[in-house]
Amino acid sequence: MENIISFSQATVEPIMFYALVLLMVPLAFGVIFDRSIIRAGFILIGVFGTISGIFLLLQAQFLAMAQIMIYAVGITLVVVIALMLTNPTLDEDRAPTQAANRLPGFLIALLVFATIFLAIRSELWPMAPELIQSDPTKAIGYFLLTFYSLPFEFSSILLLAALIGSVMLAKSDRAPMKTEKGNAKALAKSTR
Amino acid sequence: MLSKPLAFSFAYIICAIIVTTLYAIGVVGDTIMQAGFNPEMAGLFTASALFALGALAAICGGHGKTIAVAGIALAFCVLVAHEQPLVRYMTLSALLFSIGMYGMVVSRNAVRMLMSIELMLNAVNINMVALARYIDPIAVRGQLFAIFILTVAAAEAAVGLAIVLAIYRNNASIDMEKFNTLKW
Repeated sequence: MENIISFSQATVEPIMFYALVLLMVPLAFGVIFDRSIIRAGFILIGVFGTISGIFLLLQAQFLAMAQIMIYAVGITLVVVIALMLTNPTLDEDRAPTQAANRLPGFLIALLVFATIFLAIRSELWPMAPELIQSDPTKAIGYFLLTFYSLPFEFSSILLLAALIGSVMLAKSDRAPMKTEKGNAKALAKSTR
Repeated sequence: MLSKPLAFSFAYIICAIIVTTLYAIGVVGDTIMQAGFNPEMAGLFTASALFALGALAAICGGHGKTIAVAGIALAFCVLVAHEQPLVRYMTLSALLFSIGMYGMVVSRNAVRMLMSIELMLNAVNINMVALARYIDPIAVRGQLFAIFILTVAAAEAAVGLAIVLAIYRNNASIDMEKFNTLKW
């Protein structure tokens, strides 16, 4: 029975991997190239979904759930709301890319990919024996509250700071402060 | 002078013939010299399906970007088919990272640029989880760092989109080409 399970896993895993790649690569390009930017925002959900599938293949069940809950729902929602606020008519973006940057961008991306790929390939990875953690969520919780409790607390402080900072940045200050009022008037004059 | 779709299809077919030839040389060389070149059947199957798709799009005069995406996915499958699983996953993350970097350099819309940055952060997450799975499977520390990256990504998205909103309020546009507010 165990033989059958391991055999099926060994054959199913690459098939699932390539199926997810086939989904992920076109969706990722869709995020960049789609003319309707609101559709690009929703395609992003698909990319995050396939990435959570990759996490499931890599036996990271907790992260797959967190990926869907934080990225695919939370961050994408924030992005879409920002799109609606900044582009109220949601008209089509006739030219989603800057023509002058296309070739340099492609060369840079190609160079980055080639560098990373060659570095990964030539490395001799110290592969662990196939001893899968039966309960990775338990291990994550243990480490999060013992060895890595300090970064955990720091990340909560970071989240709080980001919350307050984004509110500060995004709230419209209709009545500017007294010291900045003169500056604002001068700015308005100079831009006119 | 060739028309554009025709030129695309010729370029595609020539590239595919070169890749196939190299691959066939690799396989034949392996059977003769035992060089340790044994590709995976699933990867080869996916690559050939992609080749058929791309050739179909090229012959039917499909959109240039469709052909390009099929070609990139095909190149990825060919590159990765004879690697071990860890290298496979990490190459996928490198591909996603470079797609995100291309989008970040190229996009005109600031929000789309932020989406590309999210793609890059996700690529790093795939890397972390793959390393946790294959190198450190008992104490899965890579997943832990992926959780921290997730937290920082949430903070980054909130602050970045707030900055985009502030830019929009000052500029009435989030076009990156019109955005030179450093010289206020």
